[in-house]
Amino acid sequence: MSADLHWLGASDAVRAFAAKTLSPVDLLQALLARIDRLDPALNVFIRRDDEAALAAARAAEAEIGAGRIRGALHGVPVGIKDIIDVAGLPTTCHSAVLRDSIASTDAACVAKLRQAGAIVIGKLATHEFAIGGPSFDLPFPPARNPWNRDHHPGGSSSGSGAGLAAGFFPLALGTDTGGSIRNPASACGIVGLKPTYGLVSRRGVFPLAFSLDHVGPMTRNVADNALLLDCLAGHDPADSGSAVAPRSHYAAQLERGVRGLRIGFVRHFHEADLIADPEVAVALDEVARTLAAEGADIRTISLPTLGEFAAVNRVILTSEAWSIHAPWLRSRPGDYGKLARQRLAAGAFLQAGDLLAAQRQRKQMIAAVETALRDVDILLCASSMDPASRIEDADSTGRTYPRQARTPFNVTGHPALAMMAGLSHSGLPLSVQFAGRYFDEATVLRVARAWERAAGTDRMHPA
Amino acid sequence: MDTVLMEALARLSGLDKMLAEYPDDLAAAFASATGHRDVMMAPDAADAEPWPPMRAGEGL
Repeated sequence: MSADLHWLGASDAVRAFAAKTLSPVDLLQALLARIDRLDPALNVFIRRDDEAALAAARAAEAEIGAGRIRGALHGVPVGIKDIIDVAGLPTTCHSAVLRDSIASTDAACVAKLRQAGAIVIGKLATHEFAIGGPSFDLPFPPARNPWNRDHHPGGSSSGSGAGLAAGFFPLALGTDTGGSIRNPASACGIVGLKPTYGLVSRRGVFPLAFSLDHVGPMTRNVADNALLLDCLAGHDPADSGSAVAPRSHYAAQLERGVRGLRIGFVRHFHEADLIADPEVAVALDEVARTLAAEGADIRTISLPTLGEFAAVNRVILTSEAWSIHAPWLRSRPGDYGKLARQRLAAGAFLQAGDLLAAQRQRKQMIAAVETALRDVDILLCASSMDPASRIEDADSTGRTYPRQARTPFNVTGHPALAMMAGLSHSGLPLSVQFAGRYFDEATVLRVARAWERAAGTDRMHPA
Repeated sequence: MDTVLMEALARLSGLDKMLAEYPDDLAAAFASATGHRDVMMAPDAADAEPWPPMRAGEGL
């Protein structure tokens, strides 16, 4: 194998394990050595679990050697966002509030990964309770962007995005309530998918907002994203939001291309509702041109404005989050960082009528997106309107974080994927987003793969 | 900002401790909530129902 084991994807690693050209122990040791060297400057990990991971890698090596393949991810390391329970490890939510909270059982998504043979490598940085960050007043420092450590990596699944871009692990789990998988995917130039609401169980994941929360796969390439989703998807009767969805094999359609697909380009998101950075706008046009050249039929379509979507998302998110955090905000406000304290307390000032108005508006927005998806197969739109800002520039971060087009698909629950659309002149990732029909992640991933294959985004890594 | 209203609502919500220790953060939270409410529009139709819908029983 080459010396660049840290850029090896999960699909390729599994093939190499089966061919006995690489062992899970060798891969894990190479990654741990890289983490030792680089993580002190990136702050990806809140908690490493080297001993357990090495024991699991040795067991995987023996099992694979004996021909006993436990599942599609046997021997592959995975990082877990620290709002997701891993048995025996703390789930701190990056907060002093839960600093000593040890999980007794695996979250459903972690259990599925273990069943598939994946190796949990540790718990990853997040924004506090997936809402307050990037912050410097928490028990752990914020993750930084491997493309430029002076810039933020997006959030709230910040450690997941930064760790993938840094070559620390080929797979990670994130969560997405207002864009928290797709923001780090955009900032770090990796692939982040928010699946359809209910496709992946949220059992064992600390909630931010019940009706907006999603768990999803984060990877460096589209094939690995499909592979990880294949292992995560499925009904969980213990999660009240879990759906009984038609079973798909997400990786099977990846190479079918986009010929004949109708793609709706939601231009007003970045040309009127918010004015994107010119480099982002150029990159989005290039994605559309490339997919047209590959045979897709690109049409401009309209949805409700980003302002309307954002208002509905904020009212619902803040109301639901308040219902969870009110007891701690009343008794222990000093255990929260400033950003989380400000954002979570806002729910105290919203009324029942505000929440109901937002939920009623939400139904109309779902109808609007469903109508659009009768005329097209996929939506193409912006994800972040800007490259990542400097992490210590709170004003710039506060201004650019809300300049995004991700919340529409938390409000409606449609699957949405963000990935790299190119690099800015300053060497930071630019991003694009694809969204699809409910439970049609296969087509979302297929379009993403067509763009990745044409643009070579899976081969672009930080220096 | 209506400070009197903010403080009254904070106390009504049980946030006396936060009001005493972090008044600026509470003021920022109040401004944020007011901003959310100002841009929210309710549907015109009286029979426009919310999502998620009410469902009987568990998981039906």
